[in-house]
Order: sequence, then structure tokens, then C-alpha cells
Amino acid sequence: MSMTKLIQIALMGLLATSPLAWAEQTITTNPVTGVHTWKNSAHGVSFSMKQLLPDQVRGFFVSRGFSVKQIDSYATSCVYMMILSNDQAPGVVHFVQNNWSLVSDSGSKPPMDTKDWLQRLKQAGAKKSALIAFRWAQFPPEHEYEPNGDWNQGLLAAGLPAGSSFDLVARWDVDGKPYEGVLKNVQCP
Amino acid sequence: MCNVPSRCLRRLLAPLLLLTSLMASASELPRMSHSLTPLKTPVAMPELRLKDMDDELVDITTLKGKVVVVSFWATWCPPCRREMGTLERLHQATAKEGVVILAVNVGEDVEAVFPFLAAMDPQPTYPVLFDSEAEAMEKWGVRGLPTTYVVDRNGLIRYRAIGGREFDHPELIKRVRSCLGECS
Repeated sequence: MSMTKLIQIALMGLLATSPLAWAEQTITTNPVTGVHTWKNSAHGVSFSMKQLLPDQVRGFFVSRGFSVKQIDSYATSCVYMMILSNDQAPGVVHFVQNNWSLVSDSGSKPPMDTKDWLQRLKQAGAKKSALIAFRWAQFPPEHEYEPNGDWNQGLLAAGLPAGSSFDLVARWDVDGKPYEGVLKNVQCP
Repeated sequence: MCNVPSRCLRRLLAPLLLLTSLMASASELPRMSHSLTPLKTPVAMPELRLKDMDDELVDITTLKGKVVVVSFWATWCPPCRREMGTLERLHQATAKEGVVILAVNVGEDVEAVFPFLAAMDPQPTYPVLFDSEAEAMEKWGVRGLPTTYVVDRNGLIRYRAIGGREFDHPELIKRVRSCLGECS
């Protein structure tokens, strides 16, 4: 048997024994709005990012009590609806968003920090009720999800200019063992 | 001012319509499961004293002896909206047996919540409380919406669910009912 054949068999065996280790990334496009959603799963965890247009973000937060001027810098910071779900991980998934990476031509950095945004918006004169809505509309900065059902969705700001693209590397641990999953070539609206 | 009823309704519904355009449609969202996570070590429930839609104070400590399902939510939270109707069906199935549902709204007021509830089918008939400063949810350790807790008859938190759930699923109803006994 050739070496190539052996490698093929070994790879097939690996995939057969760990079907949830990696899945193929999908990209869907909303036929009405044209916005894209990138979705993938790894190690029993599924995750996705849906583009939000700056006007959508402005509209949402103006309805929550911000002025257009107050929320504009956030709305134009490349915002997504992030979803992460512990479908079938081998245990409790623990993540800290600050450990994630957005890898682009300009380097690697974590998503923008919710606390920093709250500070900036407070300084811009946003009222308390608006800040509460802002805080809880964000994807959690840190959380633990039990298998078979725990998940969250929330806003995540990449902090990159419109038109730029990046890879998101989401990292988590299960009982201290590190895992990661990637969304490739995500684009800022 | 808002003197014309149809204009009032449009004004009240506008944020909801905007919200629909922003958030993901149900088909794009993860399937809602019916799991509840048992706490390895049940913990005493934190304080929960908040006003309801009628401006009446509700204190969870007066509900000792009942099983209480405490759900933290907001109108702008898509999975919260998805599960509200299923909580109503849980309420209808278990209220007479001694299960109370408290839906704790975070950071909004009656003006925002009332039109949302009025447009729901089925309309929630369980109490909706207002945590306008998000202080209760901090005490309860909530880190994302929705988050739901099941408190047993002795005031101990026995189950937790992070993210939307099908609260009207038979297995989940069975779990909640089990807390009328020993919580199994």
C-alpha cells in the first residue's frame, strides 16, 4: 500500500471518529438586505457573524435612547451579530472575548472592548438607560456555556474600516483544555 | 403628543419594526433546545424585589413554597422574543400546580414593553417585572440575555438556562414540575 493511500485512510479514520472536530464554513446572503453571514463549527461549538449595516446599528440604538451623534462612531466600527452555541462540546465551554483575534492585513487584535465603549459613550453624554441597553445588547465579554443548549447572541464590534476583511479566531477552553475555531475572510460592511 | 390612536400605535410599534430589520430572522438563529442545566450545588436565590406592569411591588420571597421560573429578558433580544410564547404555554400548563413565572425585563419601561406584549401570540399572562437599572440581573449573575433560573420551593436555584429555550417542550415542563417535589 502506498504512503498516500495510508495517509488517506488515516485521515478518513480521524474524520469518522471525530465528526464534530471541524465543519466547513458557510456564507449566506440575505436576498433583501444583501448582508452576509459567516458560519462555522469546531469541536462541538458553532459560531457565526452576521453583518450589520451602520444605518441598522444607528437605528437600533437611537430607538434605545442614543443620539445619532453619540452612537455614530460605534455604528461605523464594523459591527456584527455574533452567535456562539455549545452544541456538543465535551464539557462546559468557557471563553474570554479578549482572547479572541481578528487577523487582518493590519495585524492581529481582539474585538473592541465593551467597557471601553461604555466609557466613551458615557463621556459623550449618553443617558443611563441607553447605556444599559448598549451593555446588554453586546455579545458577552466572558461566559460559560453548558453543552446541549447554552448559547448567546449579541453585537460585536471589530473596530476596522468599512470594506476591510479579517479572520476571526474564537478561542475557548473546556476543563482548561484550549480549543479554537475560525471564520475566514469576514468582511466589514 | 399622540392624540390619534393609529398614530400612537405606529409610534409604539416603530422600534419593534426597526428591531426586526436589525436582528436575525428565526431561520438564521440556532435551534432552541429544551435543556436545563442542574446546578451541582444549589444556591440560595438572590434578592428580587421589583415593580410589575401595574406598578405593584413583587417580592420573590413571598413565593416560598412555590416553584419560581425567573427569566431575564428584553424586547430587543431576539431569543427572548422567541421564548416568551413558550414561557406562556409553560405557565398555562403548570400555574395551577404551583409554578410561578417571573419575566424580568432589563432596562426598559412599560411604554416599550406593553406594545411588545400586546403584539404577542400567545400574550404572556404571567407577571412581567422591571429591572430598569439592571441591578437585579447583576445580583443574579446574569451575563447574557436571555438567562433563566428555576427556583425550588425552598428558595434554592436548581436549574439554569443560558440562551433561548423551548419552555413548552414536554421534557422541560417535566423538569420544572419535578421541582414541585425534589427536582430530578
